[in-house]
Amino acid sequence: MREEGEEEMVTPGEMLGKASEVKAGKGAYVADYRNSGILCVFSSLNGLRRTVSPSPDSPDQRPTIEVTGHKAHGAVPEPGSVVIARVTKVMAKTASADIMCVGPKAVQEKFSGIIRQQDVRATEIDRVDMHLSFRPGDIVRALVLSLGDARAYHLSTAKNELGVVSAESTAGATMVPISWTEMQCPLTGQIEQRKVAKVGS
Amino acid sequence: MEIKPSACASTFVDKSVVPGDVVVNLSSMSNQTIKLGGGLRQDCDAISVMKAGKLRFSKPNKYWVEGSQKRYVPCVEDTVLGIVVDSRADNFLVDIKGPVLAFLPVLAFEGGTRRNIPKFEVGTLLYVRVVKANPGMNPELSCTDASGKAAEFGCLKDGYMFECSTGLSRMLLASPTCPVLESLGKKLPFEIAVGLNGRVWVNAESPSTVIVVANAIMNSESLSGVQQKIMVEKLLQKLQD
Repeated sequence: MREEGEEEMVTPGEMLGKASEVKAGKGAYVADYRNSGILCVFSSLNGLRRTVSPSPDSPDQRPTIEVTGHKAHGAVPEPGSVVIARVTKVMAKTASADIMCVGPKAVQEKFSGIIRQQDVRATEIDRVDMHLSFRPGDIVRALVLSLGDARAYHLSTAKNELGVVSAESTAGATMVPISWTEMQCPLTGQIEQRKVAKVGS
Repeated sequence: MEIKPSACASTFVDKSVVPGDVVVNLSSMSNQTIKLGGGLRQDCDAISVMKAGKLRFSKPNKYWVEGSQKRYVPCVEDTVLGIVVDSRADNFLVDIKGPVLAFLPVLAFEGGTRRNIPKFEVGTLLYVRVVKANPGMNPELSCTDASGKAAEFGCLKDGYMFECSTGLSRMLLASPTCPVLESLGKKLPFEIAVGLNGRVWVNAESPSTVIVVANAIMNSESLSGVQQKIMVEKLLQKLQD
């Protein structure tokens, strides 16, 4: 691999320096070098290494070594960001979705989200029927409420501009929205119920 | 393969159809609404068959395909016999011979509150009603009827349960009473519960009665009414010997 300027390709486990001389940043960690007692900084990712010089007023004057992998430039959902997700499973009180884009950027790795029954819409939240709001395969625009638990982010569609953006009917055609609760199939004319997002001005 | 240009539905009613048959051509019909039941699908202007069976019609405008299978596809408002497989915090997992397990909420009983949750062991046989059956989701069951009353739903004690095809269960539940049940009922006392998912439960005082009833029902699937009566009489004669 070509070296680009000051950066060098490193692989996981490669030694980057002694812990007494450098600090471990993102993508690097401190460990004992072959049980010798000398602590060294090793890389934990495949990527390019970069040295960040320390700020002049910090007590610790060691430079920080960072390794940026290929996922570092991908988008990561944060609480408050609007995401586009595809619904994978609809159950009695929750719907699971795979987050595909955060804002305008696509994600580089898989993020799971969950939409709970009380977060589907703003009114009458205890009488929501999940099957009449989402179906597997729908593309929804949702807001990230929180990081949730280890398995999934918590998403919400409880606003007018959030909800199903694109859905396929049982006949296989992309449906046309007719109201905030209904979409119609252009081939068969059948109406299916979804929680539709208000798109446009 | 020739394509029938104008398929009028009345030519296909009560005949055997296979997947791919076009039974109704919507462009040739005037402004009517048709209701499609199971086994039929709308393909732009044509209604085509998805399941093999007999096409049935009921006035004023409902069409569906009836076939007899071993597998059961859960439908709303079906009464089925389920077997408890597991219990969770807020529902029981019940096997109803469908593609996935069904959920029975612990509160779906008459007068059910958090304090008097029934304790069903694994393997308990239940007579339940399907409340929600959406494709892709686990079906939801209930032990009450639509108005909240118990109405014979719940756990079935003692007796013997055997499996049959869905067509036989529908025949046993048909009205007027199907001939095999009528002729058995005249001579033997027994109680029976039929699930539309292909399970039948029989209970009687003596085990020999239970066995005769179960065998008679299992034999009666392909017999006509008269043949069923003859078969039942032969079995009952052997019982008396």
